[in-house]
Amino acid sequence: MKEEPGESKNRKRLRNIVIGIAIFLLFAYAVSVTRVNLEEPLEPKRQENLVGLLRELAHPDIFQYETESQSINLSIRMPCPQEVKGSQIESNGRVLLMTPNCASTTQEPITLTGTGYPPNAQGVVAWHPAGATTIRRLSNFRANDDGQFSVTFTMPDIRETEDPQRIEVAEILDRRITGPSDTTIETLQRMLETVLMALMASTLGTILAVPISFLGARNLMENVGSPLAAVMAAIIALPFGAAAGWFIGSGVSYLAESLSSSIILGLGGFVAAVLLLVLAWMLGGRIMGGRSSEIPAWLGWVRVILAASLGFLALAILAQLGLVFGAWLEDILGFFSFVGNFIYVISDFAHVFLPLLIALLGGGMAAAYGSRIGQEFVLNMPEGPARMLTAVLTVIGTALAVFAILYAVNWICLLGICRKLSQETPALYLTLAVPALIVGAIAGLLSLRVPPKRQVATGMATYSVTRTILNVLRAIEPVIMGFVLVIWVGIGPFAGVLALMLHSIADLGKLFSEQVENIDEGPVEAIEATGADKVQMINFAVVPQIVPHYLAFIFYRWDINVRMSTIIGFVGGGGIGLVLFRSTNLTQYRQASVMVIAIAAVVTLLDFVSSKARERII
Amino acid sequence: MLRVEHLTKVYDDGTVALKDVSFEVPDGQFVAVIGLSGSGKSTLLRCINRLIDPTEGEIWWNDTQLSHITGEELRRARRRIGMIFQHFNLVERSTVLTNVLSGRLGYVNPLASILNRFPQEDIERAHANLKRVGIPDKAGNRADELSGGQRQRVGIARALMQEPEMILADEPVASLDPALAHSIMRHLQQINQEDGITVLCSLHFLDLVQQYSTRAIALNGGELVFDGTPEEIDDEKFIQIYGREAERIG
Repeated sequence: MKEEPGESKNRKRLRNIVIGIAIFLLFAYAVSVTRVNLEEPLEPKRQENLVGLLRELAHPDIFQYETESQSINLSIRMPCPQEVKGSQIESNGRVLLMTPNCASTTQEPITLTGTGYPPNAQGVVAWHPAGATTIRRLSNFRANDDGQFSVTFTMPDIRETEDPQRIEVAEILDRRITGPSDTTIETLQRMLETVLMALMASTLGTILAVPISFLGARNLMENVGSPLAAVMAAIIALPFGAAAGWFIGSGVSYLAESLSSSIILGLGGFVAAVLLLVLAWMLGGRIMGGRSSEIPAWLGWVRVILAASLGFLALAILAQLGLVFGAWLEDILGFFSFVGNFIYVISDFAHVFLPLLIALLGGGMAAAYGSRIGQEFVLNMPEGPARMLTAVLTVIGTALAVFAILYAVNWICLLGICRKLSQETPALYLTLAVPALIVGAIAGLLSLRVPPKRQVATGMATYSVTRTILNVLRAIEPVIMGFVLVIWVGIGPFAGVLALMLHSIADLGKLFSEQVENIDEGPVEAIEATGADKVQMINFAVVPQIVPHYLAFIFYRWDINVRMSTIIGFVGGGGIGLVLFRSTNLTQYRQASVMVIAIAAVVTLLDFVSSKARERII
Repeated sequence: MLRVEHLTKVYDDGTVALKDVSFEVPDGQFVAVIGLSGSGKSTLLRCINRLIDPTEGEIWWNDTQLSHITGEELRRARRRIGMIFQHFNLVERSTVLTNVLSGRLGYVNPLASILNRFPQEDIERAHANLKRVGIPDKAGNRADELSGGQRQRVGIARALMQEPEMILADEPVASLDPALAHSIMRHLQQINQEDGITVLCSLHFLDLVQQYSTRAIALNGGELVFDGTPEEIDDEKFIQIYGREAERIG
């Protein structure tokens, strides 16, 4: 009995030793992989470079100076001729001596001494490279009390030419701040762009993340289910509804377009749009005011569709007019032309997305209706026929779904799998339809084994799919998304906005749904008990509980988006990152310094504001 | 008339919460449901309005088979059954008026309610019900500004908005002090007597049972162990309901 604890103690010790050795090996390997080394950083040349860089960073190019200077020019040869010597020049009592007066490599130090300068005179030594328009600064100098100085520098670059090149020694006589430097102005503009990029990305991301967060909340989805037949009926109905919606949407767009083709028609169209909106509103009001039980369901649907169609037509006409009006405003408003642009862009969005939106709505409505019909049929049928109905619906539904998936796979050539057929040939449809039907048939046979009235956990399926998509989307760095989007929408802030929006949707979607999962279930239960439906339950029991948390997360996300958008510019996503990347590439560290300071200031400020805002809300 | 037949509920983790429970409640009764914590009182009440789905058995309410309806039919049945909770289950950040109006959700048009629009008559009804439960001036307050007793009154007003034929009260006074408990129980009694609304109310204290209910049913370990008038609960019945260790107080 006494040996056992001892033995286990020994085993514990052994285990600890093994773990210790494993950790040691891990870190030893990590050091070699990450190439930790101290030799290079200790080289004098590198240290000198570092000091130079730090000095530039410490001297940000914030202000514009008006300088009055007096220059003396020296010649330098590249490469060095056979005989290396120094050169001396005198001007206005100032004597400069540069040795050597040539350079073959970027390593050789060149020494410049000056005498006869006024005490404590300051200035710059710069090189005018042959064939270049920019000047390269080599060193600063400052004379001592006796008017003497000596500086040593190396040429940053060797440009070999026949003729000597110019070294300018400029003595600064007077220097005044005349305003912010060009760098500062550009930095401020780009910083504003960055903050607004983050604002747009956060706003758009939030709008899309809110509905997604309900689908990704376990407590809301857990008990959602419907019989297999209902699920399949929904899948079958969806494309028909979407097609009908698309048809209506395109029709409405076309009608609106032809109505607004001339000014008179356009003005008439405007009046018509307003009237239509009023009509839709009144009709909507009638629908809203009435008790749901007073009118037959089909009449209710007809009214809803009628009101929606009128509303859509009005929107389409307004969008058409908005395009013209916006463009006109942009021409005449001057400084406020962005308002015109806004109207134009919004109208363009409505114009482009209206048919798509109506198609989506149509698909959703058809799916909901199909699901309801399927459920009613199956639940009110005897077991046998219900089983048959389920099987038939499963064959069609699965075949449709598989067809859609195969079509998508073929379109993007997933894993290189695609038929090299032009997209819309009957041959393509046939090649996709055959496997789809086979899978559908198998699924149909399998469905015969399922009790037809049992609820399939559609809610949990939706939950899992939503969460998986969010997790994958979150794992993709916005920089990579930016990279892809730059190719699609071109270099500029819009690509950055889209990339950040996608990441915001994924991030907020997850954070939001966790908030939904954390709510107090009591009110949910109470609202359900009143006979409310799912949407009402969310609106009355869930939404009031999550609003403050959502607001806090939106602020937090804006803060994150500002930080991320400074990076996204590196791949062409606009904002301050774009110019920061440019200035570091051009070794303009004094400009880079201004931008780094601006980023730090804005991020700190926003961090402070967002934490204060969060404190107040919760 | 509510009829519960051979009702059994087994939770997913295997807990048997109700075992073959059968009873009938004629319209207009005030029935106390008693029993120890965990004896199945809450489960029983929640099976009736289907916040919990029963495993076996049937529940009939007039001609509706409560235990097996779904969707629209279930919602229509639920809106005639009010419910009051131990922890009030108000939406804390919403106003009292909104909380009370939410009792109408089963009646109003879903689209309108999404926009928080209720018919004028419902708003008037909400004020009338708040007046009835004695807090007419609290309509504009947020629910979390109210005291416990006031919150439960809001809960009652919400249930009244449903124009219920039956009210399920799940330990409505267990989180309140004795004085408040009596005032809440009096409201329930008044609703029962004046409006003829059937009340099923789970209670912990026998004195409350005897004072307010016309009938008591008792659960022990999910089984129905007593069904009769409160006066019939003598010492022997008491031990059957609450077990040997319990001591009779009050």
